Amino acid sequence: MLLNITDNILRQLSYIEGEPMLFSSGLFWVLFLIFLPVYAMLKGRRRQMTVFVIAFSLFFYYKSSGLFVIMLLGTSVMDWGMSRLMARTEVRWKRRLCLWTSLLTSLGILAYFKYANFFMWNWQQMVGGNFEPMDIILPVGISFYTFQSVSYIVDVYKGRVRPTEFWMDYAFFLTFFPALVAGPIVRADYFLPQLRENRAATREMVYMGFWLILLGVVKKAIVADYLAQYNDLIFAVDPATGLPGYSGFETMMGIIGYTMQIYCDFSGYSDMAIGLALIMGFRLAQNFNFPYKSRNLTDFWRRWHISLSSWLRDYIYIPLGGNRKGTRRTYVNNFATMVIGGLWHGAAWKFVFWGAMHGAGLAVHKACKPYLGKVADSWPVKSLSWGVTMLFVMLLWVFFRADTFSDSVNIIGHAFSDFSLDYVPPFVSVRWLWLIIMGVIVVSHMLPTGFWDKAGAWFVRAPWLVKLVMFLVVIQLVLELQGEDVAPFIYFQF
Amino acid sequence: MFKHYRGLWMLMGVALAVFVAVSFLGPVTVGGYQLKTASFAEVLMAEAEAEAVPRGATAVAGKTKAATRKAAPAKAIPAPVDTAAKTILLIGDSMLDGLSPRLSAYAKKNGHTLYTVIWYSSTSEVWGKSDKLRHYIKTLKPNYIFICLGANELFVRDIRNKRTKYVRNMLSDIGSIPYIWIGPPNWKPDTGVNEMLAAETAPGTFFLSNGMTFTRKGDGAHPTNASAAVWLDSVVRWMPRHAAHPIRMELPEKGMKARPKRIFLHRPDEH
Repeated sequence: MLLNITDNILRQLSYIEGEPMLFSSGLFWVLFLIFLPVYAMLKGRRRQMTVFVIAFSLFFYYKSSGLFVIMLLGTSVMDWGMSRLMARTEVRWKRRLCLWTSLLTSLGILAYFKYANFFMWNWQQMVGGNFEPMDIILPVGISFYTFQSVSYIVDVYKGRVRPTEFWMDYAFFLTFFPALVAGPIVRADYFLPQLRENRAATREMVYMGFWLILLGVVKKAIVADYLAQYNDLIFAVDPATGLPGYSGFETMMGIIGYTMQIYCDFSGYSDMAIGLALIMGFRLAQNFNFPYKSRNLTDFWRRWHISLSSWLRDYIYIPLGGNRKGTRRTYVNNFATMVIGGLWHGAAWKFVFWGAMHGAGLAVHKACKPYLGKVADSWPVKSLSWGVTMLFVMLLWVFFRADTFSDSVNIIGHAFSDFSLDYVPPFVSVRWLWLIIMGVIVVSHMLPTGFWDKAGAWFVRAPWLVKLVMFLVVIQLVLELQGEDVAPFIYFQF
Repeated sequence: MFKHYRGLWMLMGVALAVFVAVSFLGPVTVGGYQLKTASFAEVLMAEAEAEAVPRGATAVAGKTKAATRKAAPAKAIPAPVDTAAKTILLIGDSMLDGLSPRLSAYAKKNGHTLYTVIWYSSTSEVWGKSDKLRHYIKTLKPNYIFICLGANELFVRDIRNKRTKYVRNMLSDIGSIPYIWIGPPNWKPDTGVNEMLAAETAPGTFFLSNGMTFTRKGDGAHPTNASAAVWLDSVVRWMPRHAAHPIRMELPEKGMKARPKRIFLHRPDEH
């Protein structure tokens, strides 16, 4: 029996394809319990702490992506090596050579794993050949750490960041497990000074981090995963007709449901990542700021996936010229940045369309801004702005979720053309729990931001026993509502 | 430094101990409601298994129980394969989460239409008591039925006396429609569900899954989707030689994905 248990433990610790280690899983919980006291003991000794965290991060990545961990290490060695070479010379062409070597390596790897099939398929479509897709597995989180790698090397080149003296410091930054597989995209200028200072986490940081983890678990493992059980049915269209097997009303509910699901899924992951880092004494920048409160698209993109939006702004939009080259060029830059942002999410035309539509929406909002500014900021106007923004965002999420572009068009068409309120009573009677969860999350989202700050502060001060009970309740709710399958984070695929 | 972490570490440790203990000791009932437990015990105590190996037909032929004897068709000559396009109804418990995608691919490849009805945590008892099967047969008009039930009845004592009538009710609802009953993928020895099903179903209609090896999900019970696909492939390979009414089931191309025409889901507490 002991041998059997040992085998099972070893199996849990080895790489299993398609089963990444989630922060909300029992395995991570157990491992973090082992990690925490060792980390606490080593925190005062920076070198040992760095080695230990890198080792844990690499194991974390190995559990998600197997031997691709070697590629991650290779990227870190290449980036660090090029940054050191850059630091040693003032000769411009040599510095440029280092920059481009590092960029081409990082982006080349990303292009191969993520876009090779997409580009080859499109090429074959143009020239009319027979295309057999290559069997390429996308390493988990490659888009996130590639963007971190790019930002580091560009910042070193521009002199915004001092290159790390030791490889271990850079490896710590690139492989830092809370943000490794699904962000937030950490920036070197924000993170490396914290590592150099190596400040101890205060009691407030530890419990505020734990509060964020609890919030993240509620959002991801309770809300998002439960909503997904219904949404998946709606988006599973009949291959023969391309339509969902449900009424327009139910399809509409599925679209609204997915809007909340993707927010809770991704912001839940971000909360957990930020919380874990905070427990370890590191502050990561906010990644979501109640995006569905936005009353226009510009505001939405300041609140949604902030680390990506700001990365796109700093490393694509501004280098393209930003708003410094005239109005028309500003719109073009905005549009191009969003198309690239769409393509970053996935190698498919539906993502390109999604990005392009957001780019177009941002351009339209920018163009209308002088006129909108003259309209009185009354409640009806606020409500209308919010409604239009949400409708736009919601409908575009369909392209994000549906399997193909044509499925997305069919689903949206079906939601409106087959809409009937006759389906409301049966929907309420069968999906009451889904509705309650949706209601709770919508109300929670719309509460004033200050409420959540106060709630966090209250949790930090709350007695230990209260914290324990809250934790037990949250975990039991996860068990009660979880589906048959463990649902990976949506953003793992990006 | 450590003092800041002590409280958090103890909190997480105590909570973990609670869930691990409950997982090993059995579920807790609060006000008549049985709380779900974490899968620590299942994960740790799961029996060591080899990689999923497709050996469905061997599994059936290699057993010596009554179940096995009954599983083989009475006829010496295999029945001819019915090549007509079918409307297939797939009903059962949560095991269908894994089986349905693969059967969908077969349906797409062979021109069949598939409807899937998943009733989570269901048993022959709840199906036999309810009119759901009758309802779906009446509304969807299937001319072939796959059933996968029994996983939630592996450990029912005196199962023959308790469940036979419900299985008979179900078979009576099915009437003359050809069907295949896929037995549960045992993760532990059962208390007789396979023998009961083999005894009650007609010759050449019961596929014994017990004895096959599976790669299972974290709960230690459900085969992974890949393993469930291998499982269904085994059923399909078994059909031409052993099924009373084999239908056209050519192997889908590698990577072919499809969905049922419709999936109907039922919660465990529905009746």
